[in-house]
Amino acid sequence: MASIHLQNIEKRYGGFVGVQNMSLEIADEEFLVLLGPSGCGKTTTMRMIAGLELPTDGKIVIGGEEMTEIDARDRDVAMVFQGYALYPNMSIYENIRFPLRMRGIPASEHDARIRQAADMVELGGFLDRKPGALSGGQRQRAALARAVVRQPQVFLMDEPLSNLDAKLRQSMRVQIKHMQRQLKVTTVYVTHDQIEAMTLADRIVIMNKGAIQQVGTPDQIYSDPANTFVAGFIGSPPMNLIEGTAQNGRFVAPGVSAPCPDYVRGKVTLGVRPEDCHVGGDDLQGMVYGVEPTGDTTYLTVLAGTKKIEVKAAREYLSDIDVPVGITFDPAHLYFFGEDGQRIRGTA
Amino acid sequence: MAKPRKSRGESLLLRYLVLGGWALVCLLPILWFLSIGFRPRTEVITPHPIYWPTFSLDAWHLLMSDWPIALYLRNSVIAVAGSVVIDLLLAIPAAYALARYEFKGREDIGFYILSTRMMAPAIVAVPIFFLFKTLGLLDSVWALMLIYAAINLSLVTWIIRSYMLDIPKELEDAARTDGAGDLTILREIIVPACLPGIITAAVIAAIFAINEFLFTLLIASTSNAYTMSVALANFTGGSDGIIYNAIALVSFIAFVPILILVILIQKHLSRGLTMGAVKG
Repeated sequence: MASIHLQNIEKRYGGFVGVQNMSLEIADEEFLVLLGPSGCGKTTTMRMIAGLELPTDGKIVIGGEEMTEIDARDRDVAMVFQGYALYPNMSIYENIRFPLRMRGIPASEHDARIRQAADMVELGGFLDRKPGALSGGQRQRAALARAVVRQPQVFLMDEPLSNLDAKLRQSMRVQIKHMQRQLKVTTVYVTHDQIEAMTLADRIVIMNKGAIQQVGTPDQIYSDPANTFVAGFIGSPPMNLIEGTAQNGRFVAPGVSAPCPDYVRGKVTLGVRPEDCHVGGDDLQGMVYGVEPTGDTTYLTVLAGTKKIEVKAAREYLSDIDVPVGITFDPAHLYFFGEDGQRIRGTA
Repeated sequence: MAKPRKSRGESLLLRYLVLGGWALVCLLPILWFLSIGFRPRTEVITPHPIYWPTFSLDAWHLLMSDWPIALYLRNSVIAVAGSVVIDLLLAIPAAYALARYEFKGREDIGFYILSTRMMAPAIVAVPIFFLFKTLGLLDSVWALMLIYAAINLSLVTWIIRSYMLDIPKELEDAARTDGAGDLTILREIIVPACLPGIITAAVIAAIFAINEFLFTLLIASTSNAYTMSVALANFTGGSDGIIYNAIALVSFIAFVPILILVILIQKHLSRGLTMGAVKG
């Protein structure tokens, strides 16, 4: 069990900056998710925590001990990889046993611990199979068992679910979260899937281009985005971002005229989530572009000027395309971002 | 599609005819050897072709009584097997370093290793003769073992390296976070994972070593070190002239081990021989 401190770590490859000046405190027993598009530096950050890559600058402290230069094999960190990385020539039993052998844990304890770990991921019946004889979900569970078997201080998971189909992903997600709560091991989880991030995390770190965009609980990230990147990345469908101008308490853009706070002025971007848009009214006037029923709700796409706006409508909503439609925004849930993309907040 | 596809049965038959015909063409010399090897000496050289020769074990008996075939085979096996073991011991760590470690001049060293294969062997024949003479290793299977190992080392290294490059890096990362060091990773993860490549490389090296002629002729001067390849070339059938049916039989015997090796690895053979064509 350990906390992790990243102090101003930086990773450069020649002229390219993979991770820039990143500082982060991860509490003991916390489930932290690094979220961002591919190439944003999240995996590099994780690999530096694992010791598979050395930071160009900065310090990494795990469990109170400085680990910056310590080899991966000497950090008490277990990692689960995107491609499972099971050893193909060994049975599942031997795969799970490998870290125990490497860490010099007495052989008499092996069997009990392997079976306990396998039972935890419901893989007890497959121990004598080779990885090649297992399905994707079973392989990923085997990889999890191999990570938990030696009770490490830290779990690192690098997109562990991205090779699984949607249904399996959902059930594995719950299993991972349950296991993490049960074992109370500090966990860093990398993903580009915002649903995974929202459902799993105690806190989410959103990264882009090697830098942290925002750190917060899923609720803070969702309801209080710091900039347009975070706003556009989180939510499914994501937040509508409409560029326009604001003056005298009104925000104006093609097809849009909505009230806005007085302190918002000049060229700004309005952010509004699909669920905070309601059919009817005249904050936004446009044409119906498409209607997508999903069963429990219906998404309506409205074309205002050249901009497409997503609206979460009632489930029974129906409309032909190219029909005029008016939309009201929920005034309590409007977000305004300045030209630099940063959120404009009232002077409190 | 403009043309309708031919029925499956028809195209299958055609395929077998073409492949079968080609196989027969390829096999013909070998069948011819067998046919000469098992006919009496009087039926080997005749003014008219004999289509149905008499079966005879004359040549076989002559070989068994007059020619130390077991000795030659033993020499071949020791020299070839030893050279393959030496090659693997040196090539596996070298290939791993070339495939995975990042160091300055890695590509150059890789190419240098391969380039030793590009030189005409005759260029070093004389220096090698004097080298082994000084070492007192002339006419010895140990010398042959070393020479075969040296000849094939570059090839073995490159074949194994190409297989190692295909092993996902994640496997090593996983082993490292699991607590394994470099040698453990090599022994427990990498070698088992590229075992097909290692076997392929070993068999290809063995085939080249079995067929090696120039240096064997140079080093071996008596049956102490004669291997099958040189013994075969020196063999005329004894004191009473050239005995063609015995020569044919010996050639066939020399060919059998190679045939077995090729059958063992035929699945991997083309990959092994075209290694480096796609990557590396």
